Amino acid sequence: MSIQFKSILELRKMLDTKAISSEELIQETLQLASKLKLLNCFVTMNKEASIQKAIQIDKMAASNSLLSGIPLGQKDLFCTEGLRTTCSSKILSNFVPPYTATSVSNLEAAGSITIGKTNMDEFAMGSSNETSYFGNVHNPWKKGYVPGGSSGGSAAAVAAGIIPAATGTDTGGSIRQPAAHCGITGIKPTYGRVSRWGMIAFASSLDQAGPLARTAEDCAVLLNIMSGYDPKDTTSLDVVNTDLTLTLNDSLKGLKFGIVKEFHLEDLDPAVQKSFDDSKALYESLGVEFIEISLPNISASVPTYYSIAPAECSSNLSRFDGIKFGHRTEHPEDLTDLYIKSRSEGFGDEVKRRILIGTYALSAGYYDAYYKKAQQVRRLIKNDFENAFGLVDLIMTPTSPSTAFSFGSKGSQNPVELYLEDLFTISANLAGLPAISIPHGRLNSLTIPIFKPLIG
Amino acid sequence: MDQEIVRTICYLARLEIDQDRAEKIEQDLEIIIELIGELSSIDTTNIEPLYSPLEKTALKHEDIVNSDNQKEKFLQNAPNSNDDYFLVPRVVE
Repeated sequence: MSIQFKSILELRKMLDTKAISSEELIQETLQLASKLKLLNCFVTMNKEASIQKAIQIDKMAASNSLLSGIPLGQKDLFCTEGLRTTCSSKILSNFVPPYTATSVSNLEAAGSITIGKTNMDEFAMGSSNETSYFGNVHNPWKKGYVPGGSSGGSAAAVAAGIIPAATGTDTGGSIRQPAAHCGITGIKPTYGRVSRWGMIAFASSLDQAGPLARTAEDCAVLLNIMSGYDPKDTTSLDVVNTDLTLTLNDSLKGLKFGIVKEFHLEDLDPAVQKSFDDSKALYESLGVEFIEISLPNISASVPTYYSIAPAECSSNLSRFDGIKFGHRTEHPEDLTDLYIKSRSEGFGDEVKRRILIGTYALSAGYYDAYYKKAQQVRRLIKNDFENAFGLVDLIMTPTSPSTAFSFGSKGSQNPVELYLEDLFTISANLAGLPAISIPHGRLNSLTIPIFKPLIG
Repeated sequence: MDQEIVRTICYLARLEIDQDRAEKIEQDLEIIIELIGELSSIDTTNIEPLYSPLEKTALKHEDIVNSDNQKEKFLQNAPNSNDDYFLVPRVVE
């Protein structure tokens, strides 16, 4: 029986009934990954260690962990001890972390098996997975089309059925948008719910890790285990997390969903518009009431994000200097030259662009006009959400303004064209809200309800 | 955004741009700065900046040594090191 396209719970059943052993499951998964290598989902495979762990699991008594023996992919910005972690960048192309990120440790302690590290936009900066040093990831639904980004490798590997689920990170939509373009489900949790320790930082006040899977149930299973208080992350939430699987089948009757009037959905790609309308009708048939709401400052979310995220990125990425780890230039004239050449050789164009914008926004004379101003507007955006959640339980928007597009068709002339892809996703990161991208119909015909914050 | 500003930012960020790409990068930065400049029209009088969505002070903990010395493990990733130190080009003549 093929394991391709099986969910975590289906694989669990196969393992429990001895229809397959852990070792066989891992071997088949690795074969699938090899067969579908052209998609370029993985940067590094973890073949030997995966097989060894599976053999150990087969020898052990039956586990009550849902994830025991389940193959997963980890986005290549989670540090994994002894397993190369590149952030899809030349500057980290030889980096083997001495420790493992907390969220990955949680998943591995529950028995899951990391079969490989998934491809991504370099340092998670991109919406199409075209900025990876290791090449584009292909959308498994359509050759030559983007899988979305930045967690494009995770989304493509899950959509292609190689693995049931994978981790991703979401700074401005990097879990939800690739989930949308690949027709799977992805969750960006509430800021602070999943530890950021060991996750290579892009924009610290926006980054949050979460799951991508083909079913909502698998996402819930993964997020349950990834979540939890971590004293090693100073922004980790010290709260008791509820079991997300318990409410999966709750009725939606009586819930109020907000539709944002400022989004002008009538101007969208007709395919996205139709899917949105179909979703709305479906939810209405399940007893949901739709209410028009206003988020007056929502149109400022893209410029706000593209001031804050590059500023935080320029600060975070200053650690890549060619001294302690990562790429170092070969013949520097002096120490300053070593820094400049190592960084310039190691970073790709999009990363450089964002570092430069961030450096500019934080420099003397511009700080108040760009960085501080953006953080003030961010509060206005958060206040708008708080007001809206006085009226509705959830907010529903499309995930992306368009369906998946072909390689090179957006952003090569004007980078802002690609930045506008994040229009519907960015505001949840600015306000720290949880959000989910749910497929509706084929390939990126999606809806994205933004949930009421779990933490006020 | 002119060449002089781009040169200064590049130096501050310890980056250099290939000459043949300089014009395109300058153009891109101009467009992005124009995008974030749109915020200037929003009235933010008396609005406190929101630097983190949680708005809580970073947790503090006692400064207790809680792991073994992992010097060798960390030096393994260094492009150039000896037994104890990361090595860099000479900085003092």
